[in-house]
Amino acid sequence: MSKQIRQLDSWVVLQDLLEKEGVARQHLNSYNEFYSRGLQSIVDEMGEVEVETVSTPYKVKFGKIEVGRPRVIEIDGSVSNVFPVETRLRNLSYAAPIYLDMTIEEEGLQREATRQHVGDLPVMVKSELCQLSKLAKEQLISAGEDPNDPGGYFIINGSERVIVGLEDLSPNKILVDLEKTGGVFSYKARVYSSVVGYRSKLEATLKQDGGINIKVPSCPIDLPFVIVMRALGIKSDKEIANSVSPKPEIQDLLEVSFDKASEAPTEKDALVYIGNRVAHGMLEEFRIKRAQSMLDWGFLPHLGKTDEKRYDKAMFLGEAIAKLMELRLGWIQPDDKDHYGNKVIKFAGQMLADLFRTAFRNLVRDMKYQLERTGQKRGGNVVGAAIRTGIITDKLNNAIATGNWGRGKVGVTQLLDRTNYLSTLSHLRRVQSPLSRSQPNFEARDLHATHFGRICPCETPEGVNCGLVKNLALSAIISVSVPAAEVEERLWELGAKSIRDVPDKLALDGTRIFMDGRFIGFVDDGERLAKAFRKLRREGQINPSASVMHYPPLNKRGYSRLYVSLSAGRVMRPLIVVEGGKPLLTQEMITKVASAELSWRDLVERGVVELIDANEEENSLVSMSAEEITSRHTHLELYPGAMFGISASVIPYPEHNQSPRNTYESAMAKQSLGFSSPTFPLSTFVRQHLLVTPQSALVRTKSTDLLKIAERPLGTNAVVAVLSFEGYNIEDAIIMNKSSVDRGFARSFFYRLYEAEAKQYLGGMRDTFEVPSPDSNIRGYRGEKFYRLLEADGVVMHEAQVQGGDVMVGRTSPPRFMEEYKEFEIKGPYRRDTSVAVRPTESGVVDAVFMTESVEGGKMFKVRVRDMRIPEIGDKFASRHGQKGVIGLVVPQEDMPYTEDGVVPDVIINPHAFPSRMTVGQFIESIAGKAASLRGTPADGTGFVGETVEDLGKIMKERGFEPTGREIMYDGKTGKKFAVDIFIGVVYYQKLHHMVVDKIHARARGQVQMLTKQPTEGRARGGGLRFGEMERDCLIAYGASMVLKDRLLDEADKAEVYVCEKCGLIAYYDAKQRRYACKVDGDSAKISTVVVAYAFKLLLQEMMSLNIAPRLRLRDKV
Amino acid sequence: MFLNPRPTSISNFSGSLTGELFDMLKVKVLEDAEDRVSLQLDGVDRSYANAVRRFCLSEVPSMAIDDVVILENSSVLYDEILAHRLGMLPLKTDLERYILPEKCDCGTPLGCQKCRVLLVLDASAHEKTRTVYSGDLVSEDREISPISASIPVVKLAPGQTVKLEAYARLGRGKEHAKWQPATVSVLLDGKSEDSFVLKVESSGVLRPKEIVTKAVEILEEKLKEMQKEVSAKVE
Repeated sequence: MSKQIRQLDSWVVLQDLLEKEGVARQHLNSYNEFYSRGLQSIVDEMGEVEVETVSTPYKVKFGKIEVGRPRVIEIDGSVSNVFPVETRLRNLSYAAPIYLDMTIEEEGLQREATRQHVGDLPVMVKSELCQLSKLAKEQLISAGEDPNDPGGYFIINGSERVIVGLEDLSPNKILVDLEKTGGVFSYKARVYSSVVGYRSKLEATLKQDGGINIKVPSCPIDLPFVIVMRALGIKSDKEIANSVSPKPEIQDLLEVSFDKASEAPTEKDALVYIGNRVAHGMLEEFRIKRAQSMLDWGFLPHLGKTDEKRYDKAMFLGEAIAKLMELRLGWIQPDDKDHYGNKVIKFAGQMLADLFRTAFRNLVRDMKYQLERTGQKRGGNVVGAAIRTGIITDKLNNAIATGNWGRGKVGVTQLLDRTNYLSTLSHLRRVQSPLSRSQPNFEARDLHATHFGRICPCETPEGVNCGLVKNLALSAIISVSVPAAEVEERLWELGAKSIRDVPDKLALDGTRIFMDGRFIGFVDDGERLAKAFRKLRREGQINPSASVMHYPPLNKRGYSRLYVSLSAGRVMRPLIVVEGGKPLLTQEMITKVASAELSWRDLVERGVVELIDANEEENSLVSMSAEEITSRHTHLELYPGAMFGISASVIPYPEHNQSPRNTYESAMAKQSLGFSSPTFPLSTFVRQHLLVTPQSALVRTKSTDLLKIAERPLGTNAVVAVLSFEGYNIEDAIIMNKSSVDRGFARSFFYRLYEAEAKQYLGGMRDTFEVPSPDSNIRGYRGEKFYRLLEADGVVMHEAQVQGGDVMVGRTSPPRFMEEYKEFEIKGPYRRDTSVAVRPTESGVVDAVFMTESVEGGKMFKVRVRDMRIPEIGDKFASRHGQKGVIGLVVPQEDMPYTEDGVVPDVIINPHAFPSRMTVGQFIESIAGKAASLRGTPADGTGFVGETVEDLGKIMKERGFEPTGREIMYDGKTGKKFAVDIFIGVVYYQKLHHMVVDKIHARARGQVQMLTKQPTEGRARGGGLRFGEMERDCLIAYGASMVLKDRLLDEADKAEVYVCEKCGLIAYYDAKQRRYACKVDGDSAKISTVVVAYAFKLLLQEMMSLNIAPRLRLRDKV
Repeated sequence: MFLNPRPTSISNFSGSLTGELFDMLKVKVLEDAEDRVSLQLDGVDRSYANAVRRFCLSEVPSMAIDDVVILENSSVLYDEILAHRLGMLPLKTDLERYILPEKCDCGTPLGCQKCRVLLVLDASAHEKTRTVYSGDLVSEDREISPISASIPVVKLAPGQTVKLEAYARLGRGKEHAKWQPATVSVLLDGKSEDSFVLKVESSGVLRPKEIVTKAVEILEEKLKEMQKEVSAKVE
């Protein structure tokens, strides 16, 4: 008997997979496919542009499209290749030129073949187009890149942007559904027919009366099914009925439909019927034409847009109706929309294709206009002159920079999260659902069985996006599209029969075959075909990304169906193939993979490991462990821990925690400070943190190695005692040892980047960097002391201590146009002070000054200020079990409790943190951490397979400690022994980026808003703290009316207004005549002063501007 | 303040704490090693014993680098981090020859011969990456130097230089952990109610015995001071 493989070992296959493919593979594959094939197909679709000039019309034909290397064009026209580092530093876009071959064709003659630059394509970092993809580790380092950076994002104007995966319903798939609306059941079949950049939803509804209506977006009125079939060219009723199903039960149900279609018995009648609805009131000829074009373009466009495809469309529609009828008869069940087999994820490539199509169309339209306008004047580079490259470049850049994809799609791109390495990885594996966050969509938010191994069960945000924003599991692999032709060939070889010539017998009881949403034929035994297909795939004759699912009906009378999927964006997962009750993966292979003699790809090619999508998994029986395999099993789980996503996979002992705690931790890990990238000395992120002495966790999981988290840690190991401490750690506060803090525990740096660019204005004026001088008539001059740190070039010196308000880059700008003419301006031309100063609430040391040039050619400074953050009361910390808390007290070491060995905890957390939250994982981590410290090697806390408490207990016992992790402890203040033993161990703690210094805020008096004269809002503007309604209620209840008036009027926006008692309108003080005046009553006015809130005065005036006359009726107070 | 059940009147207190306050006091040395000392204290009240334990951590002065004047630093570590690391170096301390800066009458910010020691570091890497160790610090007082010469301070890449002056001073653990002479200071329950075991481990800056005796000395001083104050007020 061959050696049984151990479950624990097969994770090396997954490690190899993640190492070779990288965590951002899905983005890179998608993008690579787009630039290498997608671009060309979009151009081919357009093909040519006809230039209709009066005398000699000609065409411009489009040929091959190619993308060059990423480069930058300087202001002086010089071109140079760039690396991502430079683009980040100089706020450039990492983009490459797109070249398109264009040929002018005039009267059938081809001439002037030229290659034109049509625009720039943003380049995905580490894609095939990116220079970094070809570099080895050492070269990456010398190029200033982090060799562990996964890539998969774009750099637009210097900022890193990710196109997050977008979950979508599988296209071209017939989904039947049973809807209950007001007590009535309605049966519906839906298809989202889509071709790149265009989607059309087809809906077939079974009416109460038995009729079937077809709804197409390009037709305003629903169409009867039979009429559509006739219009598609299916002549006889028998054919129509048979195309649905030859089965009598189903044909009986179709009777009503035929009755309803009696008014259009022929193809022409049917076309006119449709034409009447899409082009009402036009010529009959035109109506028919419109009906036909509707059928060709707007109806099931994925099957083709020519008239030859109408037969296929009819067959497809027949199948949709067949499914609908089978559902009606109860032969099949409604399709599950939340089944992951019915979903695909769109990544950067698909998203960019949509965008590029419209951009390219705009370019061609503009080109045509330009060429027609220039008319005859040919010769030279006419075509080139007619191309405005900005159309494509700006469209793509703007969309990626803002996330605005047009047609209401916003938030498609996001700024890459660089808080720590883990958050970056997690961000790149995020998936968004297009479903509205404002609607409940309960089912869509639920965890589905098909998510296993594809979507992380833990990692999702809380709140509105819960369950809609997901994260790929470690084992998830996104399919790439497989060329259909060869797979189809295989199917014919395996005995499939085309729908065009299918024997009647087969049409009656055969299995229907679908390939990527096309109904292509029948086969006698679907299950056999599926098996044969899989066999070929395991032999390497069919692409591993192709999947097959055999779907038998609920009732024997129904059709069994076979779906072959070749599309990109399906979520697959690797599984070990089991044959005859034995896994094909042997220990020998695992050893070879571990020693890099074999790769996971080889295993896939040999059919040992298989990629299974959610649909195919329905035909499989997967065993969790090798021991449980029976003869019925088809697959074995590669590594159960791979069901988690990036964030959740670093939680030690997650299986011992209450589920939501793992979700909380998944969110919190992304906020913890660590060592995000070794490129930090050159990084120019607006905000960035760095933990000074990060440690890799003593209790690790497999994914610590898998994802190289140990090289980019995000926390510190802390000695943690579970103990109350004088009430200073109630409500989740934590106590911290002052000596630990003194020694550098959780010390971090905060970096903020300030930017200043010298812009050039119209008329040759420009900003200048200088130390503003008090004598040179500068508006907004701040005072000498704010400029004290500037050197002669107007920029701060290195390592200077800066406080809020200190100027770091002195800059003056020319006057703004609007301010140019001022009545009493006598001093002549002036400049404005537009210096860049430190934020009022921040301070620090000038860490780095970068001097560079922007694309516009202006000089640019980037000044980075660092601020050391020593843990203090109010700073937020969290363990890896969703146990967060702020420091409640920093305690001197001599006051801290101590063990008999003299160990003093770094952190003390309150025992009340545990009973209700049930984060038992933290206890085990604590024990494991302690055992690991005693043993001298890290402990493995991987979910389901980590070191057990029993084993850890043994280690502790051997070294003279309690296996329970408890110890005798003494109170440091009194020296008395605690009555009970205290649980103390080593837990990995994360410092979260919420620190008091960034939040602390108080105000006595200060800024007010210009419009309302009320105090400003928010810390950044030195705002007031709102005395809100509820606070107001308190004062009312208490009867403290003077306090109330003081808060709400005197200390808020008190204002005196003059009111004319006669008309009740606002009067004013005429300074020239030195008297009060009323515009309405003139001399007869009696004017009084009234104290009101300024906001009220504003209200009166706003009403007056709306032609409402608000009159105040005054009366004496007493 | 005084929770001592034994009738010891404050006004009567005089002389040595160890000698007269506790009639029954017995001290037995359980362990006396280079880096640790373990004492069995019998016939002493817990509060006194614990005070001694606490003083070993917070009150006994020791030497540590306090001010660093950085002349050049092209290493990857920031000035503040470098200074912090230097501060953490345990320095051999001589309590006879040096006094706390606040008790010194020199009045200069950088101190004088009595209250500070100057250490100089001048290191650079040329061809190879180099680690700067505590042993590279040159002290003006040969007696006052890091307890080990092999504590890494900073790594320098070729071309990087660190040049600085570090001023070491006496200080107390209650101000900053770098001035804690003891790494471990525990008071454990002994066999009977009045019996305790005091274990003190030194970081190496002072001999462990020295730490304990100094702690007792300071306690005594403080009590004396208190006695003076109280009697002055009571009379």
